[in-house]
Amino acid sequence: MAYEALDFYDIDSLLTDEERMIRDVVRDWVEERILPNIEDACREGVFPDEWRAEIGEMGILGAPLKGYGCPGLSYTAYGLICQELERGDSGVRSFASVQGSLAMYPIWDFGSEEQKEKYLPGMASGELVGCFGLTEPDYGSNPGDMLTKAEDKGDYFLLNGAKMWITNGTIADLAVVWAKLDGVIRGFIVEKEDEGFTAPEMKGKHSLKASITSELVFQDCKIPKDRILPDVRGLRGPFSCLNNARFGISWGAVGAAQSCFNSAKEYALSRIQFGHPIASFQLVQNKLSWMLREITKGQLLAYHLGKKKDDGTWIPEQISLAKMNNVDMALEIARMSRDIHGANGILDEYPVMRHMANLESVKTYEGTHDIHNLILGRHITGIQSFTREP
Amino acid sequence: MRVAVLLKQVPDTTAKIGVSGSRVDESAITKWSISPYDEYALESAIALKESGADELVAITFGPQRASKCLTEAAAVGADRLIHIVTDADFMDSCTVQSILSSAIERSECDIVLCGKQAADTNSGSTGPGVASLLGYSCVGSVTEVSMDGGKLSATRLGATGLERIEVSGPCVFTFDKGEVELRRPNVRGIMMAKKKPIESIGIEDLGIEIGSPRASLKSHSSPPEKPPGQRFEGAGSIEIVVGKLRDEANVI
Ligand SMILES: Cc1cc2nc3c(=O)[nH]c(=O)nc-3n(C[C@H](O)[C@H](O)[C@H](O)COP(=O)(O)OP(=O)(O)OC[C@H]3O[C@@H](n4cnc5c(N)ncnc54)[C@H](O)[C@@H]3O)c2cc1C
Repeated sequence: MAYEALDFYDIDSLLTDEERMIRDVVRDWVEERILPNIEDACREGVFPDEWRAEIGEMGILGAPLKGYGCPGLSYTAYGLICQELERGDSGVRSFASVQGSLAMYPIWDFGSEEQKEKYLPGMASGELVGCFGLTEPDYGSNPGDMLTKAEDKGDYFLLNGAKMWITNGTIADLAVVWAKLDGVIRGFIVEKEDEGFTAPEMKGKHSLKASITSELVFQDCKIPKDRILPDVRGLRGPFSCLNNARFGISWGAVGAAQSCFNSAKEYALSRIQFGHPIASFQLVQNKLSWMLREITKGQLLAYHLGKKKDDGTWIPEQISLAKMNNVDMALEIARMSRDIHGANGILDEYPVMRHMANLESVKTYEGTHDIHNLILGRHITGIQSFTREP
Repeated sequence: MRVAVLLKQVPDTTAKIGVSGSRVDESAITKWSISPYDEYALESAIALKESGADELVAITFGPQRASKCLTEAAAVGADRLIHIVTDADFMDSCTVQSILSSAIERSECDIVLCGKQAADTNSGSTGPGVASLLGYSCVGSVTEVSMDGGKLSATRLGATGLERIEVSGPCVFTFDKGEVELRRPNVRGIMMAKKKPIESIGIEDLGIEIGSPRASLKSHSSPPEKPPGQRFEGAGSIEIVVGKLRDEANVI
């Protein structure tokens, strides 16, 4: 039976024909290529290289960026792409988010003409994979205090330090790395072959198992002078990338939630206990109704935010709210769906436990749930509460 | 050499089908797609274009919603899109064939590709009918067509094995499901397709006099209900089930 995505308020009718077509291409691809293979990929802890190539061929990487071989789509289309990928698996959406919003975007916005021409076309087609190195072992929510530093050695920059939790790191051809040069955060492009650079994979994850997570280690890593991103200084650089990725996550979470909802609904209708389908019991209906309600609100939030991104009338706090809300609701729905599936809910025959475990990472990365609360708290009160020092 | 591909929009093979009265309720169908055999025709038509055909014209005959087939065809490489719009519920095969042949003639296509039958009606008459009206030759149930110089040849599974058929002059090829992988549109194709105009025409624009059809729909009813499934419970029924599977269903 064809996948019917929950769309209670008919968001579909608000989309343009191209947006619907792009959504369907990605939806069909996920149906054909991800769903039958995702459990194997998770078990082996790999992101199959064919997926990279096929995502590249679909032409969806760096969706909202224009020029240099990038698709130039609306933010709504970008959101729909994330939604469909994450309906498959958050790890697949992570690959695309990191590539597009965290690696291509800073080059596109802050890079030199030569850098854009050198990297963006290959990244848009998926031939070159990028990663984004901000988090360090000791600095997660407060990247401003990072230790990784760059020194100007006249003919080259010398990078020293380590990044951790870096999606795509081991499979990346290039890394956009944030490091301090004379105390100021700057972006650098490090290539896979650069001397003094290694990217060992982090193993043992219970979440996002089909996504590669790595350390980036720089030991007297020498990079040419033309690899610094010329047009940005300070935390504004990494944070503006995060805004785009977080926007995509707010849609992606809807996809994961839709998948969990469908599975719960089907299961509840077919599972008989006490002589009746469990879907006929009021407590189960209450859960399904709550899921419907939360997904519908999340969809409207994501859709409207997409329009604001396209109009340029958004503020970062609106993105924080959408990321925080939608991931939270998706995680809660995954848990509830797992509960409705009873013991079956823990099996890999159903997607719910995988989504649930994935969403735990999604709740933490791109600004933890509570960091977004603090961002909103500062917006409401005008008082920052990230740190005790003013 | 100009290639026409005929595309029919049908309910997606995975779409949920609802019935109201004795009819399939079309308004309840949420997913419409290019008929699967036509997709193979389209794939081969794109390959012909890649190997040097001058123009690829995609033609569909159907209601407004059917224009989506054309945009999909444009997204994978069709150059010209012709939609003959109709609201008719039922039309006899001869009329459909004359409408399509007239559109093919107007667009001056000498090679025509289509599915061997449509997934909804399964009547299989369109390709041969169009060929006979146009006076083209017709090769049925092919899986691939290729062009070498001016010569076209096609592969089909014949009675004795794989046949390679060579044709000269204008021809209609009807397609079976082949081994080829269908290409999926990419975003760039979709964005280009959006800019491609669809020539939307009515039957009257083709100068066709429909007249009174020689075949018309006389009555319509639901197919007979299938006998209900049988249910067996408990370990005691194993022997009966095994017996039935062996003697009645012949599956073990
Ligand atoms: C699978 C995965 C992939 C990732 N990919 C990338 C990547 O590609 N690139 C990259 O740079 N990073 C990546 N990250 C890192 C991610 O961004 C960080 O994990 C995240 O920023 C949180 O940092 P932390 O884990 O150090 O947690 P911490 O910052 O130590 O937070 C721990 C807890 O403390 C809370 N907390 C922290 N500060 C405060 C405060 N002031 N007030 C109240 N509560 C607070 C947090 O909300 C959280 O609950 C990834 C992480 C994961 C899990």
